[in-house]
Amino acid sequence: MDLLISRRSFLIGCSAAASPLITRIGFAAAPGENRLVVIVLRGAMDGLDVLRPVGDPAYASLRPTLAEGEGGAPLDGFFALHPAAAPLLPLWQTGELGFAHAVATPYRRRSHFTGQDFLENGGGAADGALTPGRDGWLNRAIGLIPGAGPRAGVTVGRERMLILEGAADTAHWMPVADPRLSAQGRLLLDELHGADPLFAPVWTGAQALATETAAGPNPKGDLAATDIGTHVAARLVADARIATFSLGGWDMHQGQARLMADRLAALAQTVLALRAGLGAHWGTTLVLAMTEFGRTARENGSGGTDHGTGGAMLMAGGALRGGRVLGRWPGLAEADLLNRRDLMPTADVRAHAAQALAGMFGLARGDLERVVFPGLDMGGAEPVLR
Amino acid sequence: MASSLIEDIRFGYGPRGGTAPLPGGYDADRLMAQLAPPDPDDARWHRPTLAERLALQRQARDDAAARRAGQAVAATAGPELKRITAEDPLTWIPRAATATRGFRERLANLWANRLTVAFGPAAMAHLVQPFRDEAIRPHVAGRFPDMLAASVFHPAMLVYLDQVRSVGPHSVLGQRRGQGLNENLARELLELHSMGTGYDQRDVTETARLLAGLTAGPDGTAFDPDRAEPGDKRILGVTYGEGEDEIRRLVADIAMRSQTADSVARMLAGHFLSDNPPADLVQAMAAEYLRGEGALPPLYRLLLTHPAARAAELAKVRSPHEYIVATLRALDMTGQEAGVGAIPKVGLRVAEAMARLGQPIHRPRQPDGWPDTAGGWLSAPMLAARLDWAVELARRTPPVDDPGALAERMLGDLAGGPETAQAVRGAEQRWEGVAVLFAAPAFMRR
Repeated sequence: MDLLISRRSFLIGCSAAASPLITRIGFAAAPGENRLVVIVLRGAMDGLDVLRPVGDPAYASLRPTLAEGEGGAPLDGFFALHPAAAPLLPLWQTGELGFAHAVATPYRRRSHFTGQDFLENGGGAADGALTPGRDGWLNRAIGLIPGAGPRAGVTVGRERMLILEGAADTAHWMPVADPRLSAQGRLLLDELHGADPLFAPVWTGAQALATETAAGPNPKGDLAATDIGTHVAARLVADARIATFSLGGWDMHQGQARLMADRLAALAQTVLALRAGLGAHWGTTLVLAMTEFGRTARENGSGGTDHGTGGAMLMAGGALRGGRVLGRWPGLAEADLLNRRDLMPTADVRAHAAQALAGMFGLARGDLERVVFPGLDMGGAEPVLR
Repeated sequence: MASSLIEDIRFGYGPRGGTAPLPGGYDADRLMAQLAPPDPDDARWHRPTLAERLALQRQARDDAAARRAGQAVAATAGPELKRITAEDPLTWIPRAATATRGFRERLANLWANRLTVAFGPAAMAHLVQPFRDEAIRPHVAGRFPDMLAASVFHPAMLVYLDQVRSVGPHSVLGQRRGQGLNENLARELLELHSMGTGYDQRDVTETARLLAGLTAGPDGTAFDPDRAEPGDKRILGVTYGEGEDEIRRLVADIAMRSQTADSVARMLAGHFLSDNPPADLVQAMAAEYLRGEGALPPLYRLLLTHPAARAAELAKVRSPHEYIVATLRALDMTGQEAGVGAIPKVGLRVAEAMARLGQPIHRPRQPDGWPDTAGGWLSAPMLAARLDWAVELARRTPPVDDPGALAERMLGDLAGGPETAQAVRGAEQRWEGVAVLFAAPAFMRR
């Protein structure tokens, strides 16, 4: 799996240095027990395929091949969940899974790179211009959380992510696919085997072999879906309270049926691994899986979809008031589509994230609308937490 | 007082991490009690019987014939057979990992290895598991002569050691086709399965003459008079005639030879205690074997009550099967976990791991089965593969709260235990502590 899509050649005039206003010393790493995970789904996830509006009369004709097959698991009579996400159904039933549909950032063009940066930056300019700080909204949020130390926020993956870059000091944790022991672990085993006359000579040979293997190229390199979930959960069980990572592979211009089944299964596994790894902490955890934009309402001629606008956000966690799909459904009739092609966004996806930050970390509406998400009107957005 | 851990480690598959230590000290009676039937794990791990498999194979043949005749047939037997063969080998580890009677399970696998049959030729696919379940397990706490007879008369052994190809040269079939004896089963019956010494080539050939006619077909074991070699056979100074009953008499006779008694005693003591087991114990067990007409439980009792049985030093090296099972038991796993935590959807791939550690499931290369000495399992690549398994398992399973405490639970005060627990506590992170435990020499011993 692509842990991170390698994408940026910029960054953006900020460093990970601590803000002069925040001293590391004296701050607890972990303010409270609430935990927020933001998964950036790179490549523009097709919300209409993940959360299928099977109750909309236009849906089937817009998606002649993608709507085929099992059609998904009915959720609320109007929406059905893509079959590959079925492992998440128990969470829906317990109210630990929910969605916001017909959402988008204010960005109205359709470039992946700009769209992803815009999503992570959290600004409000329709042309994709970043905020003056050119930093990430999660980082700005951390700056507003009292007592958030330098390990409260963590990016997990090979690259840092803009969403957590900025003035507040945050951690970057890079899990390695190489499963070998640390130097310390090897040392401990050297001692134990060295003291055992039967094993000592064999151990020396085994270590030589292990070194040879480790020096060779790693054919896979990247982590499995469950790995990343487990690793992130481990950070959150320790001292992190806000974690972010990305899952790539959502740009499905052709052969979407196969690709979506694969990616969605990986996303589901990731969420379940988070839940498993968090254990009791799952109850105070919220997971938001967001993407840069949606895809065209109509499937294209090659069994895929092209870049669109309105899409879906997945939410999960014991802290979530789930089992429902948030948002106002705009309809899929041609006249209801944006530019007669995209699902019309009826809400700013940032409003749901703002609600989450307010509920989890007590951020004030004024700060959220001015600092974290400039230009946002939280207006009618419903609370997402229990 | 010797530690009760010894019951699990030396005579079982290792403690399960989530269970309390057995109360009191080492207790031979507690181990002996495991032998009382029924084994509750039998029902849980029941596999299709040989009779059921033969019926499915008949059905599959009928389906194929009907299809050739142009009939539309819903062929379910073929896929069912495939499913069964895919599952069979994958029960080996979970059954031991979840065994509630570890000593009994160890014995079943030890005897199945003594009377080895193996996957390989397609004809073996449906024979290995029924052999283990029907020829070995019923006799583990019974009499060895009965087990040996069940083995010789089981289609698995008849196919594996080529008895099905053996034809008496003076039999009806031998005369008509010019076919002859195949000595494979006759030889291993004397060499590997029973006496090991004390016979010569003449005895082997005569045994092959007597066995001719014993074969396996679509309905299982059969005696085909057209293949039977006529006339008397002189084996180890005893004269045998023709037919199934005479074969049974021979098996009963060689099972009670003193060489067989010695061989069985040495195998048991060598497997559980040491590559060089105490001579006094081997002698006592051999004598008991002859006195008790091959009854096994009295031998087990001698073994379990010998002073070497309670020694704190762990002299034997776990086989790959015993090792992987012990790691799973430590973590309260079954080996069948898939898609939980960081374990991939395809599961732990225990079969592949077993192959890397040197013991592909039920595929020993030769009829003498898997090695039962340290030298057979300790090579650099095999040890490197154990380290890989230790690291992989420790990283994929949910973190253990206190790996040091787990190490103490696993090894206690047995030799190497305190040092291992201390090293585990010195690891940088929890998973690594668990990996150090599993890769430690003390954990690879039993």
